[in-house]
Amino acid sequence: MIASKAGKRRRFVRCTGVAAALALAVTACGGGGGSGEQASGGKTTLTVTVWNLAKTPEFTALFDAFQRANPDITIKPVDILADDYPEKVTTMLAGGDRTDVITMKNVTDYSRYSSRGQLVDITDLATSADGAKLAGLPAFNVQGKYYALPYRQDFWLLYYNKKYFEQAGVKMTDHLTWDEYAKLARTLTKEKGGKKVYGAYHHTWRSVVQAIAAAQTGGDQLGGDYSFFRDQYQLALGLQKDGATLDFGTAKAQKSDYKTMFESGATAMLPMGTWYIAGILSAKEKGATDVDWALAPMPQRPGATGATTFGSPTAFAVNRRTEHADAAKKFVRFAAGPAGAEAIGKVGVVPALQSPEITKAYFSLKGMPADEISKKAFQPGKVVLEMPVSEHTSDIDTILNEEHELIMVGDKSIDEGIGSMGDRVKSEVLD
Amino acid sequence: MAQVITQPAPETPPRKRRAWRGVLVGWSFILPNFLGFALFTLVPMLAAFALAFVDWDSYRTPEWVGLDNFQRLLRDETFFVALRNTLYYAAGHIPLTLAAALGLALALNRRLRGVGFFRTAAFFPYITSLVAVAVVWNMLFNPTAGPVNQILQALGVDDPPRWAASTDWAMPAVIITSVWRDMGYYMVLFLAGLQAIPKEYHEAARVDGANAWHRFRRITLPCLRPTTFFVVVMLTIQSFKVLDLIVVMTDGGPGRSTLVLAQLVYREGITEGRFGYSSAIALVLFVIVLTVTVVQFRLNERRSDR
Repeated sequence: MIASKAGKRRRFVRCTGVAAALALAVTACGGGGGSGEQASGGKTTLTVTVWNLAKTPEFTALFDAFQRANPDITIKPVDILADDYPEKVTTMLAGGDRTDVITMKNVTDYSRYSSRGQLVDITDLATSADGAKLAGLPAFNVQGKYYALPYRQDFWLLYYNKKYFEQAGVKMTDHLTWDEYAKLARTLTKEKGGKKVYGAYHHTWRSVVQAIAAAQTGGDQLGGDYSFFRDQYQLALGLQKDGATLDFGTAKAQKSDYKTMFESGATAMLPMGTWYIAGILSAKEKGATDVDWALAPMPQRPGATGATTFGSPTAFAVNRRTEHADAAKKFVRFAAGPAGAEAIGKVGVVPALQSPEITKAYFSLKGMPADEISKKAFQPGKVVLEMPVSEHTSDIDTILNEEHELIMVGDKSIDEGIGSMGDRVKSEVLD
Repeated sequence: MAQVITQPAPETPPRKRRAWRGVLVGWSFILPNFLGFALFTLVPMLAAFALAFVDWDSYRTPEWVGLDNFQRLLRDETFFVALRNTLYYAAGHIPLTLAAALGLALALNRRLRGVGFFRTAAFFPYITSLVAVAVVWNMLFNPTAGPVNQILQALGVDDPPRWAASTDWAMPAVIITSVWRDMGYYMVLFLAGLQAIPKEYHEAARVDGANAWHRFRRITLPCLRPTTFFVVVMLTIQSFKVLDLIVVMTDGGPGRSTLVLAQLVYREGITEGRFGYSSAIALVLFVIVLTVTVVQFRLNERRSDR
């Protein structure tokens, strides 16, 4: 009896020991996280936040090129799911994470991080001779200072399925108006063996309607008066009502994917950003799709001269809490420079540093459409920033997005929706 | 074992020392759990209370602003939208889940062939990944091609609801999904409660000529009261804290029609970096849940006194 009691006590002591060790292990997990470390032999390890590493070939291309040029630095990507990227990075930075280089997926998030003082001031890199040439750089100007350097510049154009155009006996032109676009979309809509082919697919993002309207009318998305959205909403809702685009509610419910829509031949036209070029090229190379595609400039408002579209740059920034500021800045400068541009151009990504040689190399990629309209689409006359940057950007973005949903599901008329956008932005944000 | 404890030990340590030892042993038993609770729940919670009175973006030094965050709350229309939606969700989720769970428990509390299978089937939604649940129900509720609306149309409903794609029906869609998900868990609790009711009560009532409804009303329900109370309290707390299902299913949309308080806390804090304001909302949510729970406890006490 006594012996068994002692045995129990011993077991109890052992159990508490294990529990204490576990508790320590758990707290240790909470403390560390994502910091770059000094590897043996004087080699520096730089950590860089990226999204969907396996499906975003530009990162690997860039890292390989950088490591070849800087054998003393090793890059360790911190892979994050693309959909969760903004929230995850926001949480990381808020929690004092020490990841060295932070990729700025969009300018809105950049404005948040920079205004919170979470990024290193790299104005010296941006104002250098090389830096000043970068497309999209002005978007990162925060009261004369720069906290990130763009390495790629995406803009929106029109993807279309050449086979469907031939079958319908219609031709793509290099100066489509929105009315002609709508007419084409209605003509191209058909049922094919029980499967519906839409004339166009408008993704659920508000930019598909709002940013293009702002770019082409000169409207200000931070201004509080949104009547300049009206024509574009009329077009989008008209096409949706006639069944020429996938209904917004259905697209949301299915969490529909623009890639699948285009690659499976469910849509004939797709307004989308240039980042998708690399996606199609790799899908075709893998044999995942046989879509016969080409590019055209974004449709324009009647009477417009030249091609105006919207876009946004992607950039690298250095975390304020980094322990390898010099190596991190070196990487940021490399990515935005000629060597970085060459590396990402090879995988179909549009670099921020543009030159005739880079464009030529780009179109000689295997699988790129070589027709004149596609080439023209690649040189838009004017690229307006998708969403202007200010301290109000993110709050206004939330409101515009909520009201966009209400208009697109038919809960509010266009005028009601535009009216409440203005009212809410004025009363909730600007006042 | 019992013998050992009751037998006086050969050398009895002083009473005080023995009492201390009991306390220490007790503490060391709850220590692992308490440590985790203190580190990950208690301290952050107290910190959040303090944060409600400061302006803080998680980076700069917090600045004391007194009641500013709460004043702002009173002027914030989005807060009231979220509050209304949370109450709407609770008003739908609590009674429906309670009724569904109790109904299931009653149906499965008998000797049926395959009752084990049905009980497992009813519990299954609760252990299924929430993201999968949300995605599948979104597909079922698809306004144009979803099975739910196809069935409704086959039944002669010409203009079926557009569910998650409409501001009026998005919340009902979320409530239906959450009831389906949670009813299995509360069913298990009710089943345990039902099995604790002595069979003699029902037998005696039957002999006295009570029909099934009378037996349910006069025996089953009163005997289940402790279980029902527990289920209602848990359901209430769960309903006010709802976040995950809504984030995946509708993300608060369309517009703000399914935006709930917990989601607003997340959005203001994590996304917008306004941790002070976010904590103020969290504090209000906490006070609401606390008040409702205290009221429930009082009502329960009063009823058990009777």
